Amino acid sequence: MFKNNVKMQKNLVLVTFLFIPTILISLFMIYPLIRLVALSFTSWDGLSLTKTFVGLTNFKKILFDSPEVWVSLKNNGIYFVGHLLFIPIELFLAFLLDQRVRYSKMFKTITFLPYMINTVAVCCMFIFLYSSQDGVLNSMLQFFHMDKIGWLSDPNIVNYSLTGVSLWKFSGIHIILFLAAFQSLPTDMIEASIIDGASTFKQFYHIVLPNIKPVVEIVLFLNVRGALQIFDIPYVMTSGGPNHASETFTVQTINTAFQYQNFGLACAMAIVLMIIIIIFSIIQKKLFNLKG
Amino acid sequence: MEANLEIKKETTINITRRSGSGGGVLKILLFIFIAAIVILPILITVFASFKTLPQIGSESALKPPTSLNFENYKEVLKSTNVFVGFKNSMILVVASVVINSLLSTMVAYCLTRFDFKLKKAYFAIFLVGLIIPGIVTEISRFGLMTNIGVYDTLLAPILIYAGADLMQIYIYNQFLQQIPVSVDESAMMDGASYFTIYWRIIFPMVIPATATLGILKAVDVLNDMYIPFLYMPGEEHRTLSTLLFNCITDPRTSSIPKLSAAAVIVMIPTLVIYFIFQKYIFSGIAAGAVKE
Repeated sequence: MFKNNVKMQKNLVLVTFLFIPTILISLFMIYPLIRLVALSFTSWDGLSLTKTFVGLTNFKKILFDSPEVWVSLKNNGIYFVGHLLFIPIELFLAFLLDQRVRYSKMFKTITFLPYMINTVAVCCMFIFLYSSQDGVLNSMLQFFHMDKIGWLSDPNIVNYSLTGVSLWKFSGIHIILFLAAFQSLPTDMIEASIIDGASTFKQFYHIVLPNIKPVVEIVLFLNVRGALQIFDIPYVMTSGGPNHASETFTVQTINTAFQYQNFGLACAMAIVLMIIIIIFSIIQKKLFNLKG
Repeated sequence: MEANLEIKKETTINITRRSGSGGGVLKILLFIFIAAIVILPILITVFASFKTLPQIGSESALKPPTSLNFENYKEVLKSTNVFVGFKNSMILVVASVVINSLLSTMVAYCLTRFDFKLKKAYFAIFLVGLIIPGIVTEISRFGLMTNIGVYDTLLAPILIYAGADLMQIYIYNQFLQQIPVSVDESAMMDGASYFTIYWRIIFPMVIPATATLGILKAVDVLNDMYIPFLYMPGEEHRTLSTLLFNCITDPRTSSIPKLSAAAVIVMIPTLVIYFIFQKYIFSGIAAGAVKE
């Protein structure tokens, strides 16, 4: 009798607690995902009632007939490599912050500051810095009698300028993640190395680094996902210009859907992006484990 | 725990001593360099917000304004509806944080305390949620939002922020796992129902975690530009982010001093949150990554 009652109560809890979340997740996560796959095989324009099945046409178009897609992926690559090159620096800074030098708490606060600022506000700040007329960077160049640079107007430079904004904004989160990893290490590990007389660098490389591998892996994964999805910064600062030079994959996908009304193709692009993220993460993980 | 922390402090002091005082000075210099890179763009923007357009052209960007001239701010307040933006952002934050923390703890309670059929599916969805690129999958969610009639209402972002955030459920799950089941069992012995256990015991115990995750969520919502931009084009539904985005192209606010003033206004809420709740923010980020 008592047992039955408990069991009934359990089912009641499960139903009441999970009912709303499960509906929300099914409706706003799972259903759109299935719809995304389904629509990627159609030529739907986003408005009309009929959705014509076109098979693999969209995917073929992306792979073989869309050079602009590959150019945009190359732009994503610049963000990816930029952030990747910064990871050792971020690791090193986190390691230094962990050692609680004087003021290190204050520096931790400062390091993470950019991440907290509204992305659009960050973009506004850098629009001024990069501006070709009264811009801060060009005034500095002029001061040193150097030529002005079209930070946002030169197609060969714009992606690097935007990557700079991304680095400014997002490096802090990596540093905080690494720092959290350092602080979770058992202290006797570091103590032992001190007794052995290991230098700071050796201690870092041989003892600390292998032990925070999981967090490094997470950061590497976040970097793949973040760099391939970068949207706000190019969209707000240049809206993909000049002449599509700073379009990233996501900017192009969103424009394909909402500007050129080609939802079917945009859905196929979303799936391609998902596959690229998965493949890239796997390759990176394999390479990382090979090295480590 | 306390003792452990003490030991850690001791050893870190040892490390810094061993690496020598010369290294200490270098470290401080490095930190100052980093701090300058972080703070200068912010400082330049704040300075610019108090200057006139001719001053921007003729003065060094690093020169502090001669007087606190609030003309730009007045102009921004006149030509944009900052208060509506602020109100909308606040509604989104409060609704999303409250609903999300309730739903997430309920799901986490079920996941950590009971065995049921959907359990495996939930963990599978966590994994999927990690891989899917949120920005592009929005394309297929878009049609759904228009169909259920929430397009261009505050409900659209609230549903997405509150209902489809798997990461939060996942982290709550980690926190709830740390509460021993014996706590529930002894309450059960005293005749408490599962509902009472959740509401009187589990929920109060995760309040510190809720504070942490809620603050992180609030910052995410405040700083998000993409979802409100996509789902709420109406002027009366602008949030702080989309309002600022609009300022960039609006000729009344697009000049550098006025844009700077608008950016400063928009960055204030999250910076206030940051300076008050810093500790929670850091521990929340650490919880997401390190507690595997």
